Amino acid sequence: MADDATLMRSARFRAEREKDWKKLEDLVTFAEAGGVQSLSFEQSRDLAALYRQATTSLAIAREISLDKALLAYLEALAARAYLSVYAPQERLGGLFTRFFTHSAPQAMRRCWPFLLAGFACMGLGFLVGYLLYLENSEWFYVFMPPGLAGDRGPDASTEYLLSIIYDDSPEASGLGVFASFLFSHNTRIAIFIFGLGVFACAPAILLTFYNGLAIGAFYAVHVERGLGWDIGGWLSVHGVTELSAICIACGGGLRLGFAVLFPGQKTRREALRIAGRDAVKIAIVAALMLLAAALLEGFARQLIQDMTTRYVVGWGIGALWLSWFVFAGRSKS
Amino acid sequence: MTVTDMPTTRRAKRKARRAARHAEAAQILPPEGVPLNLPIASVGVRLGAQIVDLLITVVCAAAIILLLAFSGMLGVNGFTALASLLFFIIRVPYYVIAELIWNGQTLGKKLMKIKVVSHDGGPLSAHALVLRNLMKEAEIFLPGTLLFSIGSGGFLGWISFAWVFMAFAIPLSNVHRQRLGDMLAGTHVVHLPQPMLLKDLARDVLRPRPTKKAAFTFLSHQLDHYGAFELQTLEQLLRAQDKRMEQAAFERNRATVVSIVENIRRKIGYADAIKPHEAVDFLRAFYNAQRAHLEQRQIFGERRQDKHYSGSNDTQGGQG
Repeated sequence: MADDATLMRSARFRAEREKDWKKLEDLVTFAEAGGVQSLSFEQSRDLAALYRQATTSLAIAREISLDKALLAYLEALAARAYLSVYAPQERLGGLFTRFFTHSAPQAMRRCWPFLLAGFACMGLGFLVGYLLYLENSEWFYVFMPPGLAGDRGPDASTEYLLSIIYDDSPEASGLGVFASFLFSHNTRIAIFIFGLGVFACAPAILLTFYNGLAIGAFYAVHVERGLGWDIGGWLSVHGVTELSAICIACGGGLRLGFAVLFPGQKTRREALRIAGRDAVKIAIVAALMLLAAALLEGFARQLIQDMTTRYVVGWGIGALWLSWFVFAGRSKS
Repeated sequence: MTVTDMPTTRRAKRKARRAARHAEAAQILPPEGVPLNLPIASVGVRLGAQIVDLLITVVCAAAIILLLAFSGMLGVNGFTALASLLFFIIRVPYYVIAELIWNGQTLGKKLMKIKVVSHDGGPLSAHALVLRNLMKEAEIFLPGTLLFSIGSGGFLGWISFAWVFMAFAIPLSNVHRQRLGDMLAGTHVVHLPQPMLLKDLARDVLRPRPTKKAAFTFLSHQLDHYGAFELQTLEQLLRAQDKRMEQAAFERNRATVVSIVENIRRKIGYADAIKPHEAVDFLRAFYNAQRAHLEQRQIFGERRQDKHYSGSNDTQGGQG
């Protein structure tokens, strides 16, 4: 009877390999606590080898063993080891550098038709809003979300409008409130535009167009009073960055919606997954631009009171963004 | 058979089918080609992890705001905007960086012992983690904050409500419990299995008095009555014997074991009577013999799931 256990194939199988499994278990626990990068060369070599061995053991045990405890243990061990071995193997720093120097500008360049379409939506909206306002000033109240423009509607006096554009004491005027509100509003808009792009592009296009309408009408209010250049400067400081960010978010949304509409040979889900690779990078770029715009809006706009300087700063920063998208991350050849 | 039996069997069938579907969903095929079972985490557990993470980020944001308020850098008028902005700025990188550093786990997920894995069995990519967490913003937090700031009334309020509702309905409607961001990123969330190696019962029997005891011997036809299911149930019972028991529980356990031994004896036609103090030893010996027998059959290609195997065998013909 004593030989029975030693004769039983599955018990022998386990006895021969148990030490390696225990070793793998220790390695996995160690790697999970400190990350895979904390392993030494020998340890990581052993981890990979022992993991493959454990998966083989599992496959064999499923065939030859009826020991439930053994099967459950091997299942769990192989799964844990699998999760450690196939962990993301990138360092955070490397990830950031690669994003800024390569992947982001490359994604922007790959998606240029969508980005162009995003800018076109906004531009068209702006034009329509501008022309409609000049035709009938009542349109302003249709386009502008209540509260966003403050008191700066068609009823405001020219002096009042001018006083807000060139304001020496920003704290007193409530412009700070307006700034933070505009920032959160436009961020929300950008997220909406990007996220809604999935639904066959239409919501993204409509929202961008509508945003353009509002800005067009707002601009027209000032042009009517002969303040066109002044409001242009006021908007330029942060608007070049901020509105571009919204257009870019729209481009990212369109990229997603396009994949849903025209998946080609792939399934829609698969096409969406692939489109998501570029779209996410575009969304991050848009988010960064919005952040930059908020900083410009919060500080630069109040500091710079001269119209020409405002134009130079706003469009200069715009040119910097553009050069990043166009020139960064090109291969040497 | 009778009409009243029908629904229960149909329900049982549906239940079995659902269980099979879930078992299949829990399988992941790593590049090594051996399928692994990683049970899918339920929506409730993930919600729990989410709440922990939310608490952590809110506390961080609140601490920074308090610091700013005490240092006097904060005007009153920009307060709520700044608070929500700060919350946003802390929250988004927190999820992404935590899941990158801890291999698909945030602190909340660590607490709940769940983890993000790649749907196709490959490694988790940084892209997938960024994508699923950005989508979380659009999926849950954006309409959620809208719902809070606007209140339940109004058109926008209803839209956000429907949106949040949809965000919770999507994971419930697919087997992998993926939300929209998971689908885009090609990930899902699983329970972390806990490896625990119990001792081998087949070896255990060797240690105490191998020669002194009268050996139980079983003939091959006596081992043809049971299948793997019964064997593994017996395994559970035997493992429970090693636990320390109180007097009353011990008595009850002994009575159970004796009656089980009687049942087995009757079924397999084991002639000798078994004394009560030998009952556990008999079971251990029977377990060993039965396991050796079944494993032998299995290697020859005959899997015996349970004691009904012979019936199913006849209908399927020779599946040697």
